[in-house]
Amino acid sequence: MALNLRQKHTECIARMLNLNQPVNATGTANEEVYKILIYDKFCQNILSPLIHVKDLRKHGVTLYFLIDKDRKPVHGVPAVYFVQPNQTNIQRVIADASRSLYDSFHLNFSSSIPRPLLEELASGTLNSDSINRISKVHDQYLEFVTLEDSLFSLAQKSSYVQLNDPSAGDREIEEIVERIVTGLFCVLATLAVVPIIRCPRGGPAEMVASALDQRLRDHLLSKNNLFTEGGSFVSSFQRPILCIFDRNFELSVGIQHDFRYRALVHDVLGLRLNRLSVQGEKGGMRSYELDSSDPFWVVNGSLEFPEVAVEIESQLNKYKKDVDEVNKRTGGTDGAEFDGTDLMGNTKHLMNAVNSLPELTERKQVIDKHTNIATVLLGEIKERSLDSYAKKENDMLVRGNIDRNELLGVLRGKGTKMDKLRFAVMYLISSENINQSEVESVEAALREFEVDTSAFQYVKKLKSLNASVATANLASRNNIVDWAEKIYAVTAGVKNLLSSDRQLALTRTVELLMDGKPNPEIDSYLVFDPRAPKSSSGTSHMRGPFKEAIVFMIGGGNYVEYGSLQEFAQCQQPVKHVIYGATEILTGVEFVEQLTLLGHKMGFGSNAAASTR
Amino acid sequence: MSRIRDRTEDFKDVVRQTALSLGYDESKLAAILASFIIHKPLQRSSFTKAALKTLESIKALEQFMLKHRKDYVDLHRTTEQERDSIEHEVSAFIKACQEQIDILKNGINSEESDSKGWLGIRADNSNVDTIAHKHGVVLILSERLHSVTIQFDQLRAIRFQDAISRAMPRRKLKRNANSNSEDSSKSNAIELRELHELQSDPLRLQQQHLDDETRALQVELSSLLDVVHETETKMVELSALNHLMSTHVLQQSQQIELLYNQAVEATMNVELGNKELTQAIQRNSSSRTFLILFLFVLTFSIIFLDWYS
Repeated sequence: MALNLRQKHTECIARMLNLNQPVNATGTANEEVYKILIYDKFCQNILSPLIHVKDLRKHGVTLYFLIDKDRKPVHGVPAVYFVQPNQTNIQRVIADASRSLYDSFHLNFSSSIPRPLLEELASGTLNSDSINRISKVHDQYLEFVTLEDSLFSLAQKSSYVQLNDPSAGDREIEEIVERIVTGLFCVLATLAVVPIIRCPRGGPAEMVASALDQRLRDHLLSKNNLFTEGGSFVSSFQRPILCIFDRNFELSVGIQHDFRYRALVHDVLGLRLNRLSVQGEKGGMRSYELDSSDPFWVVNGSLEFPEVAVEIESQLNKYKKDVDEVNKRTGGTDGAEFDGTDLMGNTKHLMNAVNSLPELTERKQVIDKHTNIATVLLGEIKERSLDSYAKKENDMLVRGNIDRNELLGVLRGKGTKMDKLRFAVMYLISSENINQSEVESVEAALREFEVDTSAFQYVKKLKSLNASVATANLASRNNIVDWAEKIYAVTAGVKNLLSSDRQLALTRTVELLMDGKPNPEIDSYLVFDPRAPKSSSGTSHMRGPFKEAIVFMIGGGNYVEYGSLQEFAQCQQPVKHVIYGATEILTGVEFVEQLTLLGHKMGFGSNAAASTR
Repeated sequence: MSRIRDRTEDFKDVVRQTALSLGYDESKLAAILASFIIHKPLQRSSFTKAALKTLESIKALEQFMLKHRKDYVDLHRTTEQERDSIEHEVSAFIKACQEQIDILKNGINSEESDSKGWLGIRADNSNVDTIAHKHGVVLILSERLHSVTIQFDQLRAIRFQDAISRAMPRRKLKRNANSNSEDSSKSNAIELRELHELQSDPLRLQQQHLDDETRALQVELSSLLDVVHETETKMVELSALNHLMSTHVLQQSQQIELLYNQAVEATMNVELGNKELTQAIQRNSSSRTFLILFLFVLTFSIIFLDWYS
């Protein structure tokens, strides 16, 4: 049972568009074939990577509007609403119903609508005497964005800042944890699995895991639950494992410069919801879509950039050869041969050519699109010398230190302010012991270039806290993970010195968790099993090797982690499936901005005088 | 596939509670709850009814094609005439559906132009959203018809391929037969010439007779060859016409899509236009007051000056 999140998500949306009646292939004579779709901004983000406008028409949707737009009445058609359950949306629905915009309302909420809002809706529609227009109310449990087959995001902004904010109160943290748990619950409901949850001790990961476990238990006890798996102790071979991590587990991945195609496009050009706008060759912005329908992107997304350029070249040559062949066979040859056989052959070739022309034009379009993207990327890379950043950061992580002159040289060299800040923070994270004078010279260099150093100060503080914890209590679990991370990073680096990529600590941990063999690194990880009765001890057979995993990163993930997890999954024998998700997908720049915000909150702002530690 | 939660029951409960709290009496409560169970049938406009009818006919067309698909493609089940008749029926059906779609489209257009005539009095049914919706419906219908046409084109292409491949070996056979007969006639001639000295006049007559037969065969075979050539060219023409028809339908659907996009744009333009109008009205009224004031002051100043000097 391969978990293909995108397919299931699309199926659920198709079912919703079919007025929540099961979609059968032959299609019975459905009376209400034409409908109008109304969504709000969040749900627009959910729908846009999954369905195009043309596909909407296949489901019979004639018009689609934002809920906030001023709309006119249309008679004789049902309206399908797909909105988040909050106050403003309910008010709008009541307003629409009282203005009798449409004949029947089918309300679908992206997650469970709480009772008070339902009461408000009821009282509003009763007062305006339009209760007969509301036909159905459904909870869809679809409050997440699926970007690719195994990649999802909860689209919850700035969760890292909110969770690590020193001034955050208990109630705010609980709210955020609630929201994350709702999002994760929706993902699990769409996949219709009840996984076994594992997470490291302490921190937001444990809070989210226990809250999610509680939620699942409560839900399984209620009648007509959403998970159709029968039996209470299904063998662990069929249940996936859900690993929840916090961003602080491996901070470096969120910041570093990576040189692979997908990560570059996301970081440098700003890929959002699988859409990208770049400067076209003839001037003017062109908008492209990069998702699983683009064969080049699917195959070459995880290659390093120079190899991608080579691939584009080879594809272009192959295309030119095919076009030449088609031309040769059908036209332009000496037309003297006019006896029967050649005429027959010619027409057959003509028909083949006519049939293959659309395919050839499509291939050309894909090649053009990627050529354009690669050209723009190349320009940016040259301007900011991103290749040297990526290489030097990789070296730093592998070796653990860097020559001081080299460090200062990079900081004074090319690159935007953000690039320099990211490099400095990477230096801080990767160096094993902090050399005070070096750090001061780095700070001085940063200030020389007018770079806001709050993020730097924040990471310095974080690191010093971790270090002090390490020396104080050697037996503490937290730091075994830190040490293990460093050890594994170095050993993995040494092991992979000849290969180009370094395995991330996250991938190592997920591999160990999926194997399930006892290992000092992961023994400290908590286990939650929502299906087992509360009193039973953790049965060992539940920790057997898992074939499928869902990895969730609280605080922001990115394409580098996704790529590394997919590589790991493909290399296994037999092939395993890993789904990766995060509260949001951040570029390095956005993440460092969040760190800067935290630095400001801690008082490291640039207006504060050089604070001594 | 995962299941979803139907909250309509919860909603009904909440409605009942709220109604009781608001003090509705029993009959109203019953009416409200009944409306949940028995949905009022949607009042359909004539447009929607016509659209649904067209959809029904397209579905019927699909069924018909599915039923006769096997007969059509398989070489041995039907004769050429039956296949031709099926083709004829299907194309007539397609044309009828196309006409219906055209009627619907013209209906929308005439409604649009009508409503433009009545500036102030705009009927409820003809606002921009409804027109965009109707365009959308027509677009969906034409896309459906287009996909059916493509399926049918594919079947026709298969039929032509079969026919052409059948023509080829026949010609090959004929040519072989031709050459064989030529060879045989040549060998006969040689034989006859050999025997010529030994034979007398009756043999020459026989020889001539055989020559005539040979020539007649040759003529017949070459005429058959011509006929086959003609059939081939006709089939090529047919396939080209086929492609043409499908491209026409495609063009139409593209045009309809264009119209639909324009209708959606028109919605936005109307909003902008409304805003501009309100602004203009404001400016108009303010400028009018200013003008009146100006003239008033001027008149009084002239009178004052007159009185003064």
